[in-house]
Amino acid sequence: MQDHKNKIDPNSEVETTGHQWDDDEGYPLKEFNNPLPKWWLYTFYATIIWAIVYWVLYPAWPLPNGNTEGMLGWTQKKQLAEEIRVAKEAQKPFDNKLASLSLEEINKDNSLLQYAISGGKAIFGDNCAPCHGSGGVGSKAHGFPTLVDDDWIFGGTLADINETVQNGRTGAMPAHLESADGAFTQAQVNDLAEYVLSISNQSHDAVKAGRGDTLFHGEASCNACHGDNGRGSLKDTFDGERLDKATGAPNLTDAVWLYGGSRETITQTIARGRTGKMPAWGEGFEGFGRQLDPLSIKQVVLYVHSLGGGQ
Amino acid sequence: MKHATIEKSIPLMSILTLLMVMVGGLVEIVPLFLIESTIENVSGVRPYTPLELKGRDIYIREGCYNCHSQMIRPFRDEAERYGHYSLAAESKYDHPFQWGSKRTGPDLARVGGKYSSLWHQEHMRNPRNLVPESVMPSYSWLEKDALDYADVGDRMSALSMVGVPYTENQIKNAIADLEAQATPDSDTEAIMSRYDEKIPLDNFDGNPKKITELDALVAYLQVLGTMVDFSSQQAKAQ
Repeated sequence: MQDHKNKIDPNSEVETTGHQWDDDEGYPLKEFNNPLPKWWLYTFYATIIWAIVYWVLYPAWPLPNGNTEGMLGWTQKKQLAEEIRVAKEAQKPFDNKLASLSLEEINKDNSLLQYAISGGKAIFGDNCAPCHGSGGVGSKAHGFPTLVDDDWIFGGTLADINETVQNGRTGAMPAHLESADGAFTQAQVNDLAEYVLSISNQSHDAVKAGRGDTLFHGEASCNACHGDNGRGSLKDTFDGERLDKATGAPNLTDAVWLYGGSRETITQTIARGRTGKMPAWGEGFEGFGRQLDPLSIKQVVLYVHSLGGGQ
Repeated sequence: MKHATIEKSIPLMSILTLLMVMVGGLVEIVPLFLIESTIENVSGVRPYTPLELKGRDIYIREGCYNCHSQMIRPFRDEAERYGHYSLAAESKYDHPFQWGSKRTGPDLARVGGKYSSLWHQEHMRNPRNLVPESVMPSYSWLEKDALDYADVGDRMSALSMVGVPYTENQIKNAIADLEAQATPDSDTEAIMSRYDEKIPLDNFDGNPKKITELDALVAYLQVLGTMVDFSSQQAKAQ
């Protein structure tokens, strides 16, 4: 490598840095001293100026006690608070109407209903979906009811759903087998199961089912909750009287089951009982460690009501 | 100073290079010494219990961080979905921390207490049993594999060397505390006095007979984001 200062390359007439290699063949490799393109250079200067302006306006340099705060006083936290304020402001007219109107009134106002359902969907996803599944499909394995059909346990009107969400519900199916503190033998439990299979139109043993029928309406008094026809506390009667729907005894004659309708599952349900629990979400309850505010409850009730089975 | 002068003098160039590197180094290193002023002063953050710590190890072993971050950023959509944005103080005992923004699955910074342990058991067995559209793999072996926790005390000693304030008493009783937390009907007074009144206590894997890897993992998930009480005014100020 040789060093020749500021020569002009005779072929291209460009200034070189003087660095030159491999010239033993007569075709040397030279380092041209081309100036930077102007657009590039000015863009570079602009970014430097931009950086200085940024340091002045925004938080930038770390200091022993924190950092430079910038003239605009901008922080991410302030921006978040502002965004939330703006969103709340935009929701306010809707929220005020939601708060002042009853569930039935909201249900009739289409634009307000759409607003409530969108909000309810998010609230449902955050709080209810863990048990009832995304979209309210439920889970048979754990007895979490599906909310998308029109088969209800405690009722599917707006008022019923509201009651369920506000105050919670507890299943009250007692255990019947002796070893589970019940009053019946395994054979009697099996008879009852056969009877339930018979009224739900599944294959069953007619003799056992006959004995189960007697127990159902007699000693075990299943009909006191499930009704004389086994059609559940919502639809059936006991001794000619309408049943209290707050009992939540399901209809045993249809194909919809909370825990499952196989012989094994029905026997298990009768033997051990079921005490499924829907937590209370209304104010004053702390059963689930969390609460929903009244506005959220309204929205989630309207959402569940809209899922397909609302009455 | 002409560039040619610098380029041709090795000692001069070395000195100037060193100065330049020092500026870069200072910008990166100085904030580390000022970190005390960066971490919010909130109460409630405590080191993980032995069971939670083992759960955290499983979380890292299974690569959960590949899809789940633990950092709620201060944006409205995140605050609405996940809750209060994460504070630096909340991960001060995490080695390594689990921050990130790549979310194939949801952020888990505040998943603690959001679902029941029963939900987690079912979800680890097969996520699609509960969330039909989930792409999370099944982790069904966790509830079968016994948790190997003989080394948990050593792990706590190691963490205390990098600044996690485990007391000698906590390290000494690590195994007893781990067993107590996974067995809620045992005597849990001791572990609560050593850690916190509100540590999660449960049969996290639904099987009271055996302490499995699922016990540890669910215990860890159930404590995430629950240590700071955001309803208190002090936390709100941050």
